[in-house]
Amino acid sequence: MSAYDEVEIEDMEWNAELKAYTYPCPCGDLFQITLEDLRLGEEIARCPSCSLFLTVVYNAEDFAEAKEPPQKPGPTPVAVA
Amino acid sequence: MEQPAAAVAAAAPEEGRGEEAAAGWAWSWGAGTDGQLGNGGFDDYHLPQPLLLPIRCRGRVSLVAGGGAHAIALTSDGEVFTWGRGTHGQLGHGNLDSIAHPKSVKFLENHTVTCVSAGWNHSGFATDSGKLFMCGDGSFGQLGTGDNHCRNLPFEVAYFTTRHIEKLALGMRHSLVLLKDNSVYGFGSARRGQVGQCASRNEKSHNVPRLIAGFADFKIVNIYANGDHSAALDEYGHLYIWGRALIGEHDNDQPRAVLPSLSISQVALGWHHALVLSERELFIIGVYRHQKCDLPVPGNAAGQQPKTSAARSSHDVSSSMTTLQKVPHNDGEHVVQIASGTEHSALLTDRGSIFTWGWGEHGQLGLGDTSDQVVPQRVNIGVSPGSRSVYCGSGFTIAVGLV
Repeated sequence: MSAYDEVEIEDMEWNAELKAYTYPCPCGDLFQITLEDLRLGEEIARCPSCSLFLTVVYNAEDFAEAKEPPQKPGPTPVAVA
Repeated sequence: MEQPAAAVAAAAPEEGRGEEAAAGWAWSWGAGTDGQLGNGGFDDYHLPQPLLLPIRCRGRVSLVAGGGAHAIALTSDGEVFTWGRGTHGQLGHGNLDSIAHPKSVKFLENHTVTCVSAGWNHSGFATDSGKLFMCGDGSFGQLGTGDNHCRNLPFEVAYFTTRHIEKLALGMRHSLVLLKDNSVYGFGSARRGQVGQCASRNEKSHNVPRLIAGFADFKIVNIYANGDHSAALDEYGHLYIWGRALIGEHDNDQPRAVLPSLSISQVALGWHHALVLSERELFIIGVYRHQKCDLPVPGNAAGQQPKTSAARSSHDVSSSMTTLQKVPHNDGEHVVQIASGTEHSALLTDRGSIFTWGWGEHGQLGLGDTSDQVVPQRVNIGVSPGSRSVYCGSGFTIAVGLV
């Protein structure tokens, strides 16, 4: 079984709720890899809903002592003029 | 996760919302954990299920757009329904709820919508007056609003206030629009060239629409987007493709004319493949990426080329092997409509039969199991009184009767 795709960490999104970097999975769910995985040098992001997985490309040194990234602004109701 | 038929039948009246449940004319199947099947449930289904569009929409559904895990239905008189994952506001109901039944988008009640499209987590609506409304995930600038915020109500894109939008097509993290003056604009993620040329390499996304140049001087009749791919078709059947490479490793940040010898009438994009319909012949560019190299290649193999790079990881072997393949024909029936999800496809024939093939792990082929299929297989949705249309979202498929 080979990886579905290869994705650079900068193309993944930090998901504070899942505490993981995520990337869209073709099934509709998200490939996920945790900060802890990255600290340990893991390079596979798995989808909890299916058999597919991604190879994550990143510089291990960048994550040796990495902290959680700041949260992005979430979805908010915006009134339309 | 397949459910017994009784559970489905029980769900239908409850979600009919006071209107007669819509069995027998609209169906959905495949991945359903976010409610994207619109059948009242949050599970996968491997066989066609009744899609709970109100019965008053029967025969009036002109288009269904499938996104990552949500869908949008447009009726011939401009009413819009959305359902499925709502986590980023992509359903446009003013909240972040996911819902398992189609719900009318109240905000657009006073507009006549003429075109809709669904991206991974964003949605777009064009009106008869040429206005563009967007909602959902804006973190890559894919709403074109000049910021990277999410919107949970349709938001008019001010950039186009004095222009007239005709069509739109949304990809994973980007958006394309076709204007009445024949120009094409893109916004959102620019990482793979999908919204055209960047001024500098550091530009990863654009939250303000940008003109995409590089088309010949013919009228563009349609635009397409899925994954990180973009495409446009002109009035003479010339196809342009840009964005992430479908074959090989070289992304294109400018529209590139492909298959010049074909007169193409329809296009459907997946995440690693494209379908093109040309004079009743169906071709596939690229491959279903989930399929491993040991699977046989369908049809004639005229388009094969040698693998050019030896230094890439194993998943690239299959993608660089194939250029253009003819999709095997089915029983003398002619293909009249095509659709693609991320890793599966569907076609409709002139006799109203629906065929599916590709990745089947979530039941998105509607064949009653989770097997993959290399060649198109007939989906059994019973006798139809009239013609149908078929549409795909990422991991799901929707069929609608037109009568």
